[in-house]
Amino acid sequence: MSDFLKILENEVQLAALAFLALVYTVRLGWIFRFKTRRDRTAAVGNERAGAGYSLMNVAMPWAMESTRKRPGFYAQFVVFHIGVAAAIAGTLIIPYAPGLFEIRPVVILFQAVVAAAFVVGLVRLVRRLTNPVLRRISSPDDYFSLVLLIVWFAAAVAALPNRPEKGEWPLIGYFGLTAFFLIYVPFSKICHYLYYPFTRFYLGRSLGHRGALPPKGTKGRKTRRAGEDAA
Amino acid sequence: MPHIELEGRRIEVNEEGFLVHPEEWTEETARLLAKAEEGLEELTAEHWAVVKFIRDYYVEKNLAPMVRKMCQATGFPLMKIYDLFPSGPAKGACKVAGLPKPDGCV
Amino acid sequence: MKREKPSSSGVVDSPLDARTQVKAREDGLPSVAEGRLRTYEPGDNRGRFLDLLAKRISRPLAVSMTACVHCGLCAESCHYFLARPDDPTMTPVWKADQIRKIFKRHVDWTGRIAPWWVKAGSVDGDEDLNRLKNIVFGTCSACRRCTYNCPMGVDTGLLVRFTRGLLTELGIVPEGVFNVSRDQWETGNQMAVTEEDYLETLVWMRDELRTELGTDDVDIPVDKPDCDVLYTINPREIKFDPRSIAHAAKIFHLAGESWTMPKWGWDQTNFGLFSGDDRLGAYVARNVYEAAERLRAKKIVISECGHGYRSTRWEGYTWAGYDQTRPTESVVVTVKRYLEEGRISVDPSRNTEPVTFHDSCNIARSGDLVEEPREVLQRVCADFREMFPNRRENFCCTGGGGLLSMAEYRPLRLEVGKIKADQLRATGARLVCTMCHNCVDGLNDVIKHYKLALRVVQVLELVSNALVLPASGERTKQSS
Repeated sequence: MSDFLKILENEVQLAALAFLALVYTVRLGWIFRFKTRRDRTAAVGNERAGAGYSLMNVAMPWAMESTRKRPGFYAQFVVFHIGVAAAIAGTLIIPYAPGLFEIRPVVILFQAVVAAAFVVGLVRLVRRLTNPVLRRISSPDDYFSLVLLIVWFAAAVAALPNRPEKGEWPLIGYFGLTAFFLIYVPFSKICHYLYYPFTRFYLGRSLGHRGALPPKGTKGRKTRRAGEDAA
Repeated sequence: MPHIELEGRRIEVNEEGFLVHPEEWTEETARLLAKAEEGLEELTAEHWAVVKFIRDYYVEKNLAPMVRKMCQATGFPLMKIYDLFPSGPAKGACKVAGLPKPDGCV
Repeated sequence: MKREKPSSSGVVDSPLDARTQVKAREDGLPSVAEGRLRTYEPGDNRGRFLDLLAKRISRPLAVSMTACVHCGLCAESCHYFLARPDDPTMTPVWKADQIRKIFKRHVDWTGRIAPWWVKAGSVDGDEDLNRLKNIVFGTCSACRRCTYNCPMGVDTGLLVRFTRGLLTELGIVPEGVFNVSRDQWETGNQMAVTEEDYLETLVWMRDELRTELGTDDVDIPVDKPDCDVLYTINPREIKFDPRSIAHAAKIFHLAGESWTMPKWGWDQTNFGLFSGDDRLGAYVARNVYEAAERLRAKKIVISECGHGYRSTRWEGYTWAGYDQTRPTESVVVTVKRYLEEGRISVDPSRNTEPVTFHDSCNIARSGDLVEEPREVLQRVCADFREMFPNRRENFCCTGGGGLLSMAEYRPLRLEVGKIKADQLRATGARLVCTMCHNCVDGLNDVIKHYKLALRVVQVLELVSNALVLPASGERTKQSS
């Protein structure tokens, strides 16, 4: 293994990660500079229950009509983000727990997950390019971030077997892109996961306070027609 | 701009069918508005009693009268106003009387 | 900055009509002279807008600005887009992006350095602000259906209200919004009802009720201290349709309630919710809270009104900086309690026509009441049937967000009312019941435009129909 790759897998990654952490810290400070207002009303519901329900939304596709009606879209979301998690995990396993990728089935599993995410990425790109609504709202950052992830997934699939002796380029590509990512992410849409806890918390807390979330028991209630979910 | 036709003349109404220039109102306009907006083929003496009161009140005070005043002046019970003008006092009677759109949640 | 192709709806081109603003200034109305109600004046409105944006934005809104990932899932939650599926400018995300891009350009990070990269953009001048006005007032009823359908939890409904509030500070508002705000500032109620007219109408309704019930025991008390209930209403009830006041009085009477209406502070509606003006919101809500304080009423009861309920029960206390000290509830909840406690008796066979219920956005999505009205309707109607979707997922009546007062946007509003019309038609009901005056008018417009065989009713009307009067002064207990 070349020194270049070694530095890229270790020092460069750590430096990029430190940069990301620094920018996120500043960013969180920026978010906290905006003020919030105290709710002066007597609660009907429970703020914590509302916030908790809202934060769990990501794992409850039945909670929203938009995901309920589009199970395929939700499945894509899950595959895509598990792919992201696997690809990130790969960048940590290779330098710090390389033994794991000496187990062949583990490598294949990781590759399959990331490859699936790669396919979803392509589907999403096609959707963004062809759906008139998405075309109208998409910014260069939206396209670039998505293309970057697709390329990164491809690089990950190639690099995950971790065989520098067979050629270092897949690993250089994978870790090079990762480093670039860590620096680019805080300034792009990709850092939306940083905001998710905030938007979800405030929305859930406010609606929880009013008793609108979580929805009251669904027993014996019919909010939608039978068969609607299949739409 | 939406409008209604009266003897070859264009009378402008807003998107809700209220006259844009309330001063253009005539009895003939009232008949047209009643037909177009309320589906009333003809205006009876009872319709006219309400319409004329609203019109006079508006000309004098530049204000739509309260339904209370309409009932007082005509001697009709409240339900009668709704029977005469299906869309009610504001969107029915006041519109036929050529008043501009009332402000507020109506 | 490249200008985007305008929406095909034509709404965005609606001009700014400031004639009534000019008149209000010339007339020297106190609210204008004292700077509470802002009017439009040419000048550096762009600068003021940007300053206000940066100054006012709260943390929940700031994260709603940054969190959108442009996934487009909100599109199909919006009745505007569902009815105009070929028009991307009808989607919540596009509408929100029109303010979001300004935030990105002037407050956020990346957009300040590389605006084109994240589609950040500024406003050039009053023309752009007017365009923004038409988007946030004319193409959105702020119903918050998209808020509930955003995976990221972005509150587009609140972003729209926030933007409306900035424009209200500049007088860049639809004429109707200005007029109603003016009346509410000047007279304490949104229809400029005078105290004399208010009191006269209450006496009239009391007299009608005395005739109906054949007893002089019935009263509509005004400013009576130390009552259990302070009843507050929508000025529309006084001005155009006081039947609902008589229904309420009849129910209170039969329930043996100790109640009063205030001479001042009786308007529970609040145009501050629609215009985004927290100052107006605070003023109107405080009037109600102080009336209850002054009369030492134990509880504030709000007549059937969606935005009034949301404003008086939920938002108003925060706008006014007034800690809630007494229960504040909808009259539907009060009536539900009477039914449960057997304080009134009803016979559901008096309401035989099939009834469906329309949830008001402000009550179901921004408030807490979804089961309560249904429980009442099931007791007072023989044939109650749900509309689909319902509760938090119901579609707006099309008249929400103050749109009823903005005639210029009506053609688009009725066009997108197709969604509501389809929903209503599918119920097969003959009556559609709603606990919101605004929805009454919105639904009536849809029914008339789409020629539906439906009549709009409110909860109190159906309860009043079903009331079983006690025989010769003795209250009959009848379970239903």
